[in-house]
Amino acid sequence: MVASLTRRFGDLDIAEEAAAEAFATAVERWPADGIPPSPGAWLTTTASRKAIDRIRRENKRGDKQKEAQRLYDDDPSEPIGAIDDERLRLIFTCCHPALAMETRVALTLRMVAGLTVPEIARAFLVQETTVGQRITRAKAKIKAARIPYRVPSAEDLPARVSGVLAVLFLVFNEGYLATGPGTDPVRHDLTAEAIRLTRLIRALMPQDGEVAGLLALMLLTEARRAARVSASGELVTLAEQDRGTWDATLIAEGHRLVRERLAAAAAGVAPGCYQIQAAISAVHTSARDVRDTDWSQVVALYDQLVRLDPSPVIALNRAIAVAELDGPEVALAAVDRLEDKLAGYHAYHVTRADLLRRLGRSQNSRAAYDKAIELAGNTAEIAYLTRRRDQLG
Amino acid sequence: MQYLVSVIYDNAALATPEEMAAIDVFNDRLEAEGHWVFAGGLAAPSSATVIDNRGGEAMVTDGPFVESKEYLAGFWVIEAADLDVALKLAAEGSKACNRKVEVRPFL
Repeated sequence: MVASLTRRFGDLDIAEEAAAEAFATAVERWPADGIPPSPGAWLTTTASRKAIDRIRRENKRGDKQKEAQRLYDDDPSEPIGAIDDERLRLIFTCCHPALAMETRVALTLRMVAGLTVPEIARAFLVQETTVGQRITRAKAKIKAARIPYRVPSAEDLPARVSGVLAVLFLVFNEGYLATGPGTDPVRHDLTAEAIRLTRLIRALMPQDGEVAGLLALMLLTEARRAARVSASGELVTLAEQDRGTWDATLIAEGHRLVRERLAAAAAGVAPGCYQIQAAISAVHTSARDVRDTDWSQVVALYDQLVRLDPSPVIALNRAIAVAELDGPEVALAAVDRLEDKLAGYHAYHVTRADLLRRLGRSQNSRAAYDKAIELAGNTAEIAYLTRRRDQLG
Repeated sequence: MQYLVSVIYDNAALATPEEMAAIDVFNDRLEAEGHWVFAGGLAAPSSATVIDNRGGEAMVTDGPFVESKEYLAGFWVIEAADLDVALKLAAEGSKACNRKVEVRPFL
């Protein structure tokens, strides 16, 4: 609804506030008046009226009001299917290259995925006020500089799409390891939304390797969702998951996409980061038992990934695979080298805790678990880490 | 919608004949396609004079109001439907004058 209002009124603030006002009115009126026959249409109409009221109130100049009225009259009813198109427009506006990368991410999470400012702040290890300011400044810039609300032309699309993919991947990851005590440990709404939006981008650009790679990566991760949290609400690690509960349909689709990209790579098209990560995921999901995992293949793929993206988080994930191939001692040495950059990242301490436990260094392991629990924001992960810590001898 | 396209440069060297020729071609295109509003090149910052008449008496100071390594060397004011159009034109302008440019919307 925010997307459709933004298109009509060309202003994210007005759209967001009008939508909120419409919901508030609904909460007030529906219990007394009864739920209208078409609640969605009722909300959209109410929100549009609120938006127009606000524009009338705020604008001393008459031209904007006329513009809003014209846009509103042009589009009295919304055909089904147009919603996807509007979401795409909103994504491309939020991911415009004239905005800083961290701003694009924050804005998309807020406007397209509907995350709250505290959720965004947690996901990116930054202050809430910083996120709030980024969003406010971005909205002001979109308005003042007139960043257009549309899908870029075919010629501009490739240059614009990588920023969009980065944002969608972050949305997916937040859904797959949701932060905050009040949220579900896995937020299917976010993972599903990220997949849906990535499918939309793929429909727009079927030949793009990284779009296919990211979609495959998401599908192969989503396929393991049911196995990820135990009945008692604990996170279940990849090694301990019941592989029988993995979603075979999603895995088949993910594997098809990975094969498509492997064929392209064989034909000389160098794969990007998402394609390599999807290939790693394909190795995991191809093993019926964790003991059948081809770890040398996983490490070789991580080596390829590190060359493209030498970020400490990738290096951490590589070390986890190295532990399986070369043992926990080698892995721990690699992990400890990342301390400067990752000391505030919970997964760094989770990895250390696990490696130290496997090396029999219980006391050090306990301290690492304590730190990991302190930094972790996911309730299921905290439950898992707490049990692991308490089982230490 | 109008945008100021500022040309940012770090020395007083004037445009070369090749750069001037490319700027002329670009300006013609701006006019032909209805984007042209105004443009101009500026003399070196050292030729600037600052006036402050807020205090009742006009204070006259020699030199630019802020000393910086890079400064405004010239500008275009263009008419464009939105930022995407403005950015594309600015990219061509940057190529034509062979200098960095900044795009900023008018209110």
